[in-house]
Amino acid sequence: MRHNRYSLAELTERATVLRRQVVRMVARLKIGYLQQGLGAADLFAALYFSELDLSETDPTWAERDRFILSTAHNTAIFYATLAERGLIPPSALDAYTLDGSPYEVNASERVGPLVEATCGSLGQGLSVAVGMALSLRRRGSRARVYVVLGDGELQEGQVWEAALSAGGFGLDNLCMIIDRNFMQVEGHTDKVVAMDPIGPKFEAFGWAATEIDGNDMAAIVTALDTARSTAGKPFLIVARTLAGAGVDFLEGRLSHLARITPEDADRALARLEGAAP
Amino acid sequence: MTDTPIRTMGGFADARDHRHEALTSRTYGRALLAEARADPRIVCLGADLSQPTETFLFRDELPDRFFMMGIQEANMVGAAAGMARCGDVAFAHSFCVFITRRVYDQVAMQVAYPRLPVKLAGFIPGLTTPLGVSHQATDDIALMRALPHMTVIEPSGPEQVAAVVRAAVDHPGPVYLRMQVASARPDETTPLKPFEIGRGQVLREGEDVALLACGMMVEAALSAADRLADRGLSVTVANMASLKPYDTDLAVSLARRHRIVVTAENHSVIGGLGSMTAEALMLAGAAPRFGMVGVQDVFAEGATTDYLAEHYGLTPHHIVQKVLSLHAL
Repeated sequence: MRHNRYSLAELTERATVLRRQVVRMVARLKIGYLQQGLGAADLFAALYFSELDLSETDPTWAERDRFILSTAHNTAIFYATLAERGLIPPSALDAYTLDGSPYEVNASERVGPLVEATCGSLGQGLSVAVGMALSLRRRGSRARVYVVLGDGELQEGQVWEAALSAGGFGLDNLCMIIDRNFMQVEGHTDKVVAMDPIGPKFEAFGWAATEIDGNDMAAIVTALDTARSTAGKPFLIVARTLAGAGVDFLEGRLSHLARITPEDADRALARLEGAAP
Repeated sequence: MTDTPIRTMGGFADARDHRHEALTSRTYGRALLAEARADPRIVCLGADLSQPTETFLFRDELPDRFFMMGIQEANMVGAAAGMARCGDVAFAHSFCVFITRRVYDQVAMQVAYPRLPVKLAGFIPGLTTPLGVSHQATDDIALMRALPHMTVIEPSGPEQVAAVVRAAVDHPGPVYLRMQVASARPDETTPLKPFEIGRGQVLREGEDVALLACGMMVEAALSAADRLADRGLSVTVANMASLKPYDTDLAVSLARRHRIVVTAENHSVIGGLGSMTAEALMLAGAAPRFGMVGVQDVFAEGATTDYLAEHYGLTPHHIVQKVLSLHAL
């Protein structure tokens, strides 16, 4: 069985390892997508170490599960995860955002086939996922399509076009995770555009939906299991994530582009060492 | 390729709705279907316009490869890209204005940047619709040719459509097809015209004037050439259906062999055939007397195509006048 190879404790430990990398990567730049990366670490650990069926030797394997990061800026956690999973070399993280490096701030397919679509222009990832899900279904493939969307990204109209079509086509090989971190450039998402309730909006569009604590590993794994066993509908996981999760003095700080001093980075790493089992 | 009677293009699928029979020869719809019968990679996406894009033929014969997305062009382009990433050759259909300007960022990021085999098939180019300014694509060539990796093709008319569709299937990357339907032509005796990406075609050889045209203006240019011949001017006419990559070699060689060069397009003179020809000639150091016939820097309005062509300067008469004004310099 490809799923649930790791225990919840092991997945949580992976998430801590990923958080350390996020702090190191952003600290080197002094500013970056720190809060989002720490917040989404549990989601990425669950996806890449429990859920996604990928091949370390052939990233273009036709039967691989597809993962689309529509929030293409959340790259510290994304690249850290790829490296930890052995899909890119660890040295890649040292090249993060360096001039000439394929590991750009916004993930592009210069990285290779692990970036299944170049997003960053928000609102487009779900449409590509819909096309993949339709094509894979037509071919009788067992591969599934996963897409991580930001909550602020829901303000883009194209998301709702895609949501309507995913529901209409009954794409049960499609699972979307909304990283509900309440953060966008302008500030708190709900002060920009009030969006709750999110799940019922998608349910009205023909989806099955659940809302979970996106930093609770058991809840994440359970939701992904439910998504996989849900027939006839695309599945939405609204994952409430805590900005800066895992580092007490960063938690809850809604900073789209966070600055971090070397001293704070050391403090954060010490906290994360302490958190490790 | 040689000229072939159009009846050899493939079967005539039984349409569910024959209302358009009198209006269009369904050349595109039959050509796409013929390709798709032979190539299982081809899928067809629509945005509510199966009749006017002739894709009802595909829908009725190959329903498992036909995806009606509804009135949502942005999602259609993204979905076409997703299908292409899974190995499909995705033909996405709408009117020219909606498959280009309305979805420019989606096309740039999800189709052009990754060089996917997505074929954007657009209809009612330029002023060929009475539906008004919302439906008139007069900047689509300019927009599409500014995108890296994009190929832009406008056939001279239905007689070139089958060859253009074949070229789009064979080309590994993204293609924008700018096509006109709702024409009485061709009848079954019309010879098919060949097409090759990157190549224009000289349709008529002359010595004094070169007319470079695309789309419906090819026919206008041929008519203008007749009228100019009556005035003693010998005219070359070239069909520049491959707008990107443009046949720069042909344009430059014609400019070197003719005293006057005039372009003619059913599109704004900003960024289209006229602009690309001017760029090519200037870069090559060719300096004929040069003029551009096309829509000037204006929005148009809803009216018959004949009226609009007259009003906005897209008739053979306008080409003749442009040539004569340059001749008199």
